[in-house]
Amino acid sequence: MPSAVRYENATKRYGDSTTAAVDRLNLEVAAGEICVLVGPSGCGKTTAMRLVNRTVELSEGDVLIGGESVRERDPARLRRETGYVIQQIGLFPHRTIAENVGTVPQLLGWKKDRIAARTTELLELVGLDPELGERYPAQLSGGQQQRVGVARALAADPLVMLMDEPFGAIDPINRERLQNEFLRLQAEIGKTVLFVTHDIDEAIKMGDRIAVMREGGRVAQYATPAELLMAPANEFVEDFVGADRALKRLALMRVSDISLWEAPLAHVGQATAEVREKLRGAEVPYPLLVDAERRPLGWLSERDLALETVPARPGSPLGPLLDLDDVMRDALADLLQGEAQYAAVADRGGRIAGVLSVEIISEFLASPAAKTEEHGAVERPK
Amino acid sequence: MILAAVGEVGEGFFKERTSETLPCQAKSTHLFCFDWAKENIDSFATPAQQHVEIVAISVVAGFAIAFALALVAHRRRWLQPPLLAATGVIYTVPSLALFFILLPVTGLGRDTVIVALSAYTLQVIYRNVTTGLANVPSAAKEAARGMGMSERQILWRVELPLAVPEIVAGLRIATVSTVALATFAVFINAGGLGTKIYGSGNLTFPTSIVIAGGLAMAIAFAFDLILLAVQRRVTPWRRAAQA
Repeated sequence: MPSAVRYENATKRYGDSTTAAVDRLNLEVAAGEICVLVGPSGCGKTTAMRLVNRTVELSEGDVLIGGESVRERDPARLRRETGYVIQQIGLFPHRTIAENVGTVPQLLGWKKDRIAARTTELLELVGLDPELGERYPAQLSGGQQQRVGVARALAADPLVMLMDEPFGAIDPINRERLQNEFLRLQAEIGKTVLFVTHDIDEAIKMGDRIAVMREGGRVAQYATPAELLMAPANEFVEDFVGADRALKRLALMRVSDISLWEAPLAHVGQATAEVREKLRGAEVPYPLLVDAERRPLGWLSERDLALETVPARPGSPLGPLLDLDDVMRDALADLLQGEAQYAAVADRGGRIAGVLSVEIISEFLASPAAKTEEHGAVERPK
Repeated sequence: MILAAVGEVGEGFFKERTSETLPCQAKSTHLFCFDWAKENIDSFATPAQQHVEIVAISVVAGFAIAFALALVAHRRRWLQPPLLAATGVIYTVPSLALFFILLPVTGLGRDTVIVALSAYTLQVIYRNVTTGLANVPSAAKEAARGMGMSERQILWRVELPLAVPEIVAGLRIATVSTVALATFAVFINAGGLGTKIYGSGNLTFPTSIVIAGGLAMAIAFAFDLILLAVQRRVTPWRRAAQA
């Protein structure tokens, strides 16, 4: 059972310094949600996160996990119930992968076979071959090590997961993959996660809610990613989110969220006159050849249309084939990379669902819903 | 037989090797005399055994003290520089001088040698344990702490296992140099292979020195191999990392 986390005037001062690293922080993280703490370096986001497992001790105020104050808890026990993933991963080089994953269960005194069963289950959960359990961390790639780090944090089914820039040291391609994997995993396990990053794009991608923090550990805005992009609460957030907010919103949408063009369809052997009729008034200038299952095969060219019937081999290749589940930003990237003005979109079964064009996207970006200059006046998208 | 050799040492010492036919006891300039070696090899058993005992006890005692000091200094960082300085000062005292300083306290015999030789091992073992602990990746310690290990658990389950290679490296240096230093035990009647090197007349009769020296090297080599084997046994992860 995940627990909600609540900061109540949580304050951290180091030594006798007058300025606080975290100053009267109030934040409510709902159970089962990913809350991203994002901000420039030195804003106190990591300190704020570490107040939860008491690796940093509160000076004033309180942090409640499931309504229970962390001050009342024994730090060691509290930490065993709190998953913890750090950027440098911190796997124990002298212990096998299985021993690393079993660290907290071992501290909790589980029986050997229970630990072994749990380890296998977790390695599978994070997408690793359980056979890797016998290896040592140095024998694994950075991405694999990070997966082990996540598995180790999940070992004793923690109430809360703390993740401190978990993918920060991973190359961009693997980072993207690990982010997606973690989101898929989270959909399955539904933990309450506090996730620290300095990367706003990662925050937007990972967060159910984002707390943009500024120096002194104060929250400049706490909102959903969409709200943050459409209605930054102040100049600080606006600057931090960046000038390309509209483009960033594409990262929050899927192709299925936008209305697509209808594709004029053609079947092999069909009379071209019939097909040409369909083109009239259509937004797409060329017909799309599909098979009997309505799966796209390619675009018909002028020369194809000059024939009597539709040929089996279309004159123009299909180009990029998008998916209704694709994130809009990726879809736009595919279009640009394929040097295409438009591309076919397929549903889960591979059947044609419509056509996405650069024009649709630019119209969307220019529409009031995407205009983010006059904040406050904008409605949330559905 | 040794006495016979000693008697003739005087004249033969600087002479050139002239004849191969003479019994070699008389020819001290012979580097090695197989006949003599064959007849006297048994007399090396006791000194060798004493030697091994002196080295083993000294290194174990030195390790116990240095290890304890290093652990104390690991908790209380401010103790590190003075402890390093103190063990360093001991290390600079010439070994024979240290024996004679200790004589009034521990008397003639093995105790004095063991106290002195353990004292010499402190510096290198202490320093290596300290560096070994200091070189443990901070991420591993942070993760251990974040998962709810106590300071003691972090020390015994994470820091010390990871410091083993450096600790064993220190032990190996200390052991090899102790094997060499233990030959001085003869000067305070504590036996060891030194009796066959510095013992009466031996200095002018190379065969005995060669055998004793060879045995000392073999002992050092054997200790080193044992320590290396122990290290490989307890750090399988290091080989995995290199593979």
